[in-house]
Amino acid sequence: MQADRRRINAPAGGTAPPTFTFADHPDLLRRPTRTRKPDEHRKIFLRTGIVPSASGSAYYEVPPAKPAPSTGSLVPTSSSLKITCTVHGPRPLPRNAAFSPNLLLSTHVKFAPFATRQRRGYVRDASERDLGVHLETALRGVIIGDRWPKSGCEVVITVLEGEEDGWFGEGREKGGGWGMMSVLAECITVASAALVDAGIDCVDLVSGGTAALVKGEGGEGEAVVLDPAPAEHEVTAACVVAYLQSRDEITEMWMKGDAGDSTEGLMDQAVRAAVMSRTVLVEAVKEGLKVGGDVQPVNGAPKGGEGKGKDVDMTG
Amino acid sequence: MANGVNASPGLSFPRETFQKLTPGPFLHAHLKRPSPIRPNGRLPEQQRTPTVNAGSLTHSNGSAVVRCGDTAIVCGIRAEILLASDLPYPPSEDLDDDDLIEHLGLLVPNVELSTGCSPAHLPGNPPGTLAQSLTYRILALLHSSNIIDPSDLKITHLEAQTDEDLPDVGPRQVKKAYWTLYIDILAIALDGNAFDTAWMAVMAAFRDTILPKAYWDQDREMVLCSPRLAEAARLKLRDIPVASTFSIFSTASPLKRKDQAESWILADPDALEEENSKEALTVVLVSKHSAGGNMLRVEKSGGAVLDKVFTATCVRLAEARCRELSTMLEAV
Repeated sequence: MQADRRRINAPAGGTAPPTFTFADHPDLLRRPTRTRKPDEHRKIFLRTGIVPSASGSAYYEVPPAKPAPSTGSLVPTSSSLKITCTVHGPRPLPRNAAFSPNLLLSTHVKFAPFATRQRRGYVRDASERDLGVHLETALRGVIIGDRWPKSGCEVVITVLEGEEDGWFGEGREKGGGWGMMSVLAECITVASAALVDAGIDCVDLVSGGTAALVKGEGGEGEAVVLDPAPAEHEVTAACVVAYLQSRDEITEMWMKGDAGDSTEGLMDQAVRAAVMSRTVLVEAVKEGLKVGGDVQPVNGAPKGGEGKGKDVDMTG
Repeated sequence: MANGVNASPGLSFPRETFQKLTPGPFLHAHLKRPSPIRPNGRLPEQQRTPTVNAGSLTHSNGSAVVRCGDTAIVCGIRAEILLASDLPYPPSEDLDDDDLIEHLGLLVPNVELSTGCSPAHLPGNPPGTLAQSLTYRILALLHSSNIIDPSDLKITHLEAQTDEDLPDVGPRQVKKAYWTLYIDILAIALDGNAFDTAWMAVMAAFRDTILPKAYWDQDREMVLCSPRLAEAARLKLRDIPVASTFSIFSTASPLKRKDQAESWILADPDALEEENSKEALTVVLVSKHSAGGNMLRVEKSGGAVLDKVFTATCVRLAEARCRELSTMLEAV
């Protein structure tokens, strides 16, 4: 691979992630189990307006279940999702761009290098581009694009901490990219909050939800769970939807794996998950309006800080 | 701007309009008042108070989030293993221990600004000039400050005596591998003074870094690590250097007489002040200065307005800042 001249690269010789041996420490190798009910969503923290220089922004986090359960292990058993989203625009397209009667939306999803168990590179890989396309489809259906002709808008998502593809104890090859599904659902929710923060007109609030078909206890039977954490289950199929509750519409659906007869049930459960995350979304949006409501103009002008707002004579 | 419409009648615009149209005169109008106050409400020499939050990322050996006003920077440190047998140019025996880290490139910092943190750095492009220069400044400072003990990064193995050895030679210490620290610095929000905040995030993340116990496994011929937290060791820092940046806003121009020009020092500048000042000075000081000097690095760019008096003021402010922040970082 050609070295990236614009960044500092790994030392010549190459490095490998540390190999942990559990042979002497079998007590540390415990698979996390699901403690919440099958139809219960993890707690969500969502807040808008975290990046003042952007027109709109939001931060999404699934905090760890308990206050840091100390297992005595260096190897984390589970991830806690952390995603930031910024929206830049609407703003005029460059002069050389072709005429567009609608708002041109572009989405960009990138994992931080330290987001997952395997270190990621700085250049977007295929799975990140794929997530970006899925997100764009989900958002295109809610934005009222013809209100901003000749304009563009960028939605930029940075995943600071992603979801795991499976349990690390089973080896790396086992994961089927299930973590990506949860990440997409969360990206949709956080992008929706950031779009509202940027003041871009939408037909409704779009929220994302995931459901998965998992093997039951002891590998017998199958059950549908909402908001799966892949480390806790043996996932056989999963589904993500972007759902508009007040219009009862789906703008994006992504299903993976073999769901067999339960395809429809899986979709229904994903919609239920989306409805749950929508309640958090609505609260976050309302809170964002309360905080900056009367100080902040809609068009991305600097938000009122504590010492700001004194007028100064500018003559001379 | 649309909000000019609902402003007070007459020929007056809201201050945001002035700020956008003529940022330079806008800043000047604030500073030339009898008691100068910056547009962000701070006094010229007043710095923002940072908040530090360490250890919030699951998959890093050490991590920190530092928020300083509207600038927020995340730093995550990942440790990986570089095998000594893979080295194309193994270090010679007489290499000074302090040069080892630089020689092998064991610290790999990278600053990423294209995370949507400001409209000036949108993703989809290779890192810009600012990101590259920040990366190199941080790397140079990490190398010159020698804050990390190279022996912390070595993975050694006590090799038993073989038949070929001379009978009176005891077991030998062999360097089998080195820890490489990937220091990834991501800007979440950017409002000026990226270097100070990024450096502080790196320091806080270093203080949070835990390296697992690693050993050479003779049978499998590889380095193995113990997952037990109690056996892991915290990275020791020899010192906590603190960087302080100052912008110098000046009305000097080639069209004016030199004695008519006025200048102000703006400590810890925000984005507006950075854009409108030509000169900047960064002073990096170490907090523990038993051996006399405490100045690690001074960087100055731009014009020639800064004189001895101003420089002395900046260093005095940097000293106060260094004391304040190093105690704050030690408490993290």
